[in-house]
Amino acid sequence: MAQFRLQGSKVLAVDLTGDAVKAKNGSMVAYEGDMTFKKMTGGGDGLRGMVTRRLTGEQMEVMEVKGHGTCYFADRATEVNLVSLRGETLYVEASNLLAADASLRTGTTFTGLRGASQGNGLFTTTVEGTGQAAIMSDGTAIVLRVTPSTPLQVDPGAYIAHTGKLKQHFQSGVNFRTFIGEGSGEAFQIRFEGEGLVYVQPSERTTFGGDV
Amino acid sequence: MSTVNGPVVFDAHTLPADDNVNPYAFSVDLDGQWFLQKGKMIAYYGHIDFHGIGHGRLDRLIAHSFHSPLHAADWVVAEGKGKMLLADRSFDVNSYDLEDGNLTVRSGNLLAFQPSLSLKQSIVPGFLTLIGTGKFVAASNGPVVFVEPPIRVDPQALVGWADCPSPCHHYDHHYLRGVLGGVRAFTGLGGTSGEEHQFEFVGAGTVLLQSTEQLMAEIPTGETPDQAGVPHATPSNQPSMPRMPGQLGDLQRRFGL
Repeated sequence: MAQFRLQGSKVLAVDLTGDAVKAKNGSMVAYEGDMTFKKMTGGGDGLRGMVTRRLTGEQMEVMEVKGHGTCYFADRATEVNLVSLRGETLYVEASNLLAADASLRTGTTFTGLRGASQGNGLFTTTVEGTGQAAIMSDGTAIVLRVTPSTPLQVDPGAYIAHTGKLKQHFQSGVNFRTFIGEGSGEAFQIRFEGEGLVYVQPSERTTFGGDV
Repeated sequence: MSTVNGPVVFDAHTLPADDNVNPYAFSVDLDGQWFLQKGKMIAYYGHIDFHGIGHGRLDRLIAHSFHSPLHAADWVVAEGKGKMLLADRSFDVNSYDLEDGNLTVRSGNLLAFQPSLSLKQSIVPGFLTLIGTGKFVAASNGPVVFVEPPIRVDPQALVGWADCPSPCHHYDHHYLRGVLGGVRAFTGLGGTSGEEHQFEFVGAGTVLLQSTEQLMAEIPTGETPDQAGVPHATPSNQPSMPRMPGQLGDLQRRFGL
């Protein structure tokens, strides 16, 4: 199985011994040994992926990297975070997924209003199975544990990914003051309840919700 | 779920209390109220409400801690109990403790402060002054360096200053003197180093510098009263119309227009 490790905090190094990883198209910065790069259609999900990803707007350009040696990946100097999955599902925005073990299944899932508030569409990408994945964040990501007694509220613009059995609610603090120009700037939050981990980045994407 | 050489996992109890989580995020152990700049909260545990300021219930608090009412719409009061994470576009954030002191900071750099401090407009346009005892959080482009006056600093690197050293302009007169110097200064012909003008600080206190020369976007500090002797902020920093509490205005700015 491909070995993922971090080379500094912004470069992902993957040791390959004849096996394969899926990675964001064009994210290879260097490699040692013999590698082949193959563009995969439909975010690596073939024809079905082509259709669903086009329909859901959760577009993902993915290549398959196969060979012997070490391959280095990086994207716009964003921080890279490793996630090890043992049969769980990782929910991540397609734009934040850098690489995943080829044995992990990727797909899309409906997220509802949360996605809409982020300007990322109503769907998100899922990665499931056993193996490693690498996700990107703007600034060092913070991993927050959610337990049944400590639910977590996250600004939609700072959310990047989550794992575990979590229920998401879309929470709104919009009141009449928002409409007279005195909104709090924190009118929308995602509330996570249950048991799991949430990854947030110390930066907010520009969202509709962040402005009101 | 484990994170092999990945980041540390925090929960509601292991998050630091009033300290940095990493160089880019600060965790506030909230029990009561904090002021924060709009949109800088990234996540929280517990029960916290966010109020835009400038309305009824918080009037007393604002009267105590807030002395430039005309830019009140850029600030939010977080109220409740829990742990709250603050961050700003992955800039470095630092917290500072003031003990019966004062500190003046560039308006765009201030992220959040305890209501035991009071926030006032500085006489220097584009700067805000915090007075009293308490904690505040400021962002900077790169880590902050503390230096003692006398010192001359590059205008773009200045974040703020504490305990009243006197800030003034300094020009390299040897370089700028005479007709040739004038031509150089206005046209850049003959080569300018870009370092002919500095801010000079003398007197007792501390000067805060950021380690890059990239400024953070300024936020309006509010109109100053139109009186003789009151220095005026440059128009680019200020809204063209003064903003009154409860006014409909500034929606266009919030939608990024």
